[in-house]
Amino acid sequence: MSFLHINNVHKRFGETHVLKGIDISIEQGDFLVLVGPSGCGKSTLLNMIAGLDSISEGELLLDGRCINDVHPSRRDIAMVFQSYALYPSMTVAGNIGFGLEMRKVPRKERREAVDRVAKLLQIENLLDRKPGQLSGGQRQRVAMGRALVRDPQLFLFDEPLSNLDAKLRVDMRTEIKQLHQRLGTTIVYVTHDQIEAMTLASRIAVMRGGELQQLGTPQAVYDDPNNLFVAGFMGSPSMNLIEARIVERDGVPVAQAIAGDTTLTLPIVRDRQALRDWCDRDVIIGLRPEAITDPASANHREGNIHEAELPVELVEPTGADLYVVTSLGGAHINARMRPGTPLRPGERARFAFDVSRMVVFDPETEGRIRDERTADVGDVLETA
Amino acid sequence: MSNASPDRDGGARERLQRWLPKLVLSPSCVLVLFFVYGFIAWTSYISFSDSGMMPDYTWVGLHQWSRLWTSWTWGIALHNIWVFGLLYIVSCIVLGLVLAILLDQRIRAEGVLRTIYLYPMALSFIVTGTAWQWFLNPGLGLEKTMHDLGWQSFSFNWLIDSNMAIYTVVIAAVWQATGFVMAMFLAGLRGIDGEMIKAAQIDGAPAWKIYARIIIPQLRPVFMSAVVVLAHLAIKSFDLIVAMTGGGPGNATAVPATFMYSYAFSRNEMGIAAASAVFMLAVIAALIIPYLYSELREPRS
Repeated sequence: MSFLHINNVHKRFGETHVLKGIDISIEQGDFLVLVGPSGCGKSTLLNMIAGLDSISEGELLLDGRCINDVHPSRRDIAMVFQSYALYPSMTVAGNIGFGLEMRKVPRKERREAVDRVAKLLQIENLLDRKPGQLSGGQRQRVAMGRALVRDPQLFLFDEPLSNLDAKLRVDMRTEIKQLHQRLGTTIVYVTHDQIEAMTLASRIAVMRGGELQQLGTPQAVYDDPNNLFVAGFMGSPSMNLIEARIVERDGVPVAQAIAGDTTLTLPIVRDRQALRDWCDRDVIIGLRPEAITDPASANHREGNIHEAELPVELVEPTGADLYVVTSLGGAHINARMRPGTPLRPGERARFAFDVSRMVVFDPETEGRIRDERTADVGDVLETA
Repeated sequence: MSNASPDRDGGARERLQRWLPKLVLSPSCVLVLFFVYGFIAWTSYISFSDSGMMPDYTWVGLHQWSRLWTSWTWGIALHNIWVFGLLYIVSCIVLGLVLAILLDQRIRAEGVLRTIYLYPMALSFIVTGTAWQWFLNPGLGLEKTMHDLGWQSFSFNWLIDSNMAIYTVVIAAVWQATGFVMAMFLAGLRGIDGEMIKAAQIDGAPAWKIYARIIIPQLRPVFMSAVVVLAHLAIKSFDLIVAMTGGGPGNATAVPATFMYSYAFSRNEMGIAAASAVFMLAVIAALIIPYLYSELREPRS
């Protein structure tokens, strides 16, 4: 039995169907990130786990116990809010200790618990201040302290970093991850930022329009997306999606895309079985920018590199990498190359395609065309 | 076409634009200066003069002020304003807050109820006073209705009881202002972050503790505004008392405003009346000026 089990959960607000049957289960110690664009229902789902929104249909199990109708304060959960939701009339110590006070924990014990958490979060010197006197990052820590002090079974985070500036956000992200590793707590975390999702999660649930698109480890979601939406949403710069056609060459399917006045032919390595049925039909192929690079940077050992000469349209150095824009299948695509690769717009250059990383989508259903589940891609979509 | 160079033309228009607002505002400025601040100064002077029925500009120093403070009626008026003001402010705030909290529970007919509670504020004090006078008059209103319905022993004659009459004024005034105070608190409640209440729920606080510990402490600015608005309404209360009790029975419901009116216009003691008026102004100023100062200073910090 999994630790948190979300079983076919629906949410309706009057006529609007906000969540359309969500199935997720995670184990104790997992860091589940719910990610998706605004309005996808991720915050609603979190509020339902917290007990702040009712469940229209379905079942919510925490540690084997059905918590559908349990009051938020009796679910053994703690939540960190986007606005931090600190109580402005109380001191930091009062804020952190409020939950314990409401649970009638004696003053001395309470003080000890508050001190312990304050030390963990390095806010000991702030305990007597009011939230109004704190900076954004400090408030964030206090909000986390308020959740940590109760030592609950499950932590819920609702976009906790979105009110911080970019630099602080990265620092706090690291701290949350360290905290999770040190304390081994189970966390459900909501964000619309796919980088946060990738860096923090042990499991990612990508949501759109009230439906779960994919549940899996960050790497599985990144390398093996279920559909075009997941492919485009995860990763920055996002996956190159190229219009192509599957044709048969020497008895095996290959993908052909228009590259200016010529045709680029890419051999197919993955999902070959499924793609046999797609010969002479249009598809969309997906290749991450790092799967298209300069021949010297490519990993030739696996033997899955296919080189081609294409015109360079634009060069974008970021310092760490050099992004080279070319056009393929009628769209601009991004290739990630070694910085310092001597390329100028207008020239032709050799691009190395790592076809083992190529994924293929059905342009009609936007779903993935893939072989029957194999062991190495396991962990992709889990239905309870 | 005019031959004036565009330069000079533009200069004239610019000058007009610069002066126009000042020109438009200056008549009202002059009027306010004269009729408000001018008469405040004049009244202050009169309070140090030997004026009786007509203004008399002979300087008598603090004579009128000492007569004011030794006057028996002034003592009653001050006592009444204390009782009235305190009960009025406290009742309005307590009732207004309770109504606002009840209205804030996302009930269906909120818009209608809010309007109903707010309506008394739209009435003038004269109408309120007259209506409540009829309602509480033992021979006309509540008591007579109860008697007609067969409850012969029912008695509610506070309006004509000199010990209780001031409380009837409190009832009418509270009825009128509670809705307004409720609206202020409701606005304050709506400004509170909903996530904070969710956090408190998860922390395990029962509803009354969420209000007592988290929400009400955050309404402090609303309490401040309510006290200041109500306090100056209390000190200004004149028409309500004139319409309801006329300051009676006897002097039982006299307040500084009715005292000032009767000394100025019926007792021909303009000097004492001026002194009482200046005193009231000073009390209101002592309330309002710090409040305005703190309100207007806020955006800078």
